[in-house]
Amino acid sequence: MVEWNRDEPAAWAAALDNDGDAFAAVFDLHRDRVYHHALRMTANVHDAEDVTAAAFLELWRRRKSVRVVEGSVLPWLIVTATNLARNLARGLRRYQALIAVLPRAEDARSAEDVALDQIEEMRIAAQVREALSALAPSDAALISLTLFEHYSPAQAAVALGISDGAARTRLHRARTRMAATIEALATADRDDTTKEKSR
Amino acid sequence: MSTAELDPVFAAALRELLVATAEDAPRVRRRWRWRLGPGIFAGLTLVAGGVALAAGVFSPPGAPLDTPLGAAVTATHTGSATIDLGPRPAGATDVSLTLTCLTVGTFDFPNGSSVTCSSADLREPPLARQASEVVPLTPGIDNVTIGTSANASWTLQALYVNRVTTHWGINASGQTYGVANQNGTPDLIAVVIDQGKTQGYLEASELNCASGGDVQSIAQALAWDKQNRNISIPVYESDGTTIIGTFIIGGATGSNTKTVPLSSLSLGC
Repeated sequence: MVEWNRDEPAAWAAALDNDGDAFAAVFDLHRDRVYHHALRMTANVHDAEDVTAAAFLELWRRRKSVRVVEGSVLPWLIVTATNLARNLARGLRRYQALIAVLPRAEDARSAEDVALDQIEEMRIAAQVREALSALAPSDAALISLTLFEHYSPAQAAVALGISDGAARTRLHRARTRMAATIEALATADRDDTTKEKSR
Repeated sequence: MSTAELDPVFAAALRELLVATAEDAPRVRRRWRWRLGPGIFAGLTLVAGGVALAAGVFSPPGAPLDTPLGAAVTATHTGSATIDLGPRPAGATDVSLTLTCLTVGTFDFPNGSSVTCSSADLREPPLARQASEVVPLTPGIDNVTIGTSANASWTLQALYVNRVTTHWGINASGQTYGVANQNGTPDLIAVVIDQGKTQGYLEASELNCASGGDVQSIAQALAWDKQNRNISIPVYESDGTTIIGTFIIGGATGSNTKTVPLSSLSLGC
């Protein structure tokens, strides 16, 4: 028996041959990474679930043209989740009916339900999110792959279908732009905090 | 429960949906895998004995009628490319595109349809590797773009046509009959059965019901699939009452597959 989890290329090949269990194995392998990334992009549990579902449904719909990076479809899923999260309404339209009937746990959670000690982390996450949304879609995907998911620029280039050189140039530009946005947001936040304290 | 984990209820349901989605895709290897563009009537799963009537093979009411105009333009490319169609003849409404794949790949037509060519397809003669689409012209644009997967080669033949959509017939009971077109679906849908020997019509409502038209949830869809049955519906003359044959819907095969008449089921549709 093939160990699916250790053998993604075999699982993906079997999935392409309409093996539902093999496709489920690909889902099991990547669902958490895709969901975490979606959560990072949307800051909303419900939206992140929707993005995760749509990313895997897109993986199936576009299975013939998915770019596999070193045997893995995860980079493609991250790029797709990034794009879906950036334009939730448009990205999810195709799957709205399907996703709407998926049941959810009754105690619907929200990203607001976090411990107080996570507030600083959330503040940083919000800044990153805002800076990401200011980038071009392909640059946001590039940042997601390299900065958050720790892929090399060369691997990200394959996932995005661009040259290694173009990936490096665009990554440099995107990082500079993001750093500037985050710095501006952080300064604004500090100013707000100072005002609060001086009251 | 932490927000860092995917809701297990949601995850389990999504997983089930993905399994069903992957297994629901056609298992039979077709020479060409088609994904039809928006607005085109598709979605019939057929078994031996019946094929939906393709527009142009016969000319039932409602089918488009294409008249070629001018000379065909032929071009060969690798990767995505835009083909100049040349000056537009008077009366041209659409362009007829015939694509032949020369390598493995996926090829996208401008109307959203796409076709995938596998290595097995390449062993077929060129005529068997052709895919055709008729695409409406956009005012002021006299070119078409074919998108492809990386390094995919193709030859395209393009020809301006004048397309007229004929009218559906109307029978004595006031039912429309013919083929589905941009105006929608007629009451009676044209089909051929008996390996093309008999032409007849299906009641659109019966076809919809037998195809699972009342399925509203994943649970229902999965239950429907698990039944492993085909459903037969009558084929009528254009009068909508004279029965001339039977049409089978469903892709179920295997020794314990059963075919049941729609009239024997109470599906509530």
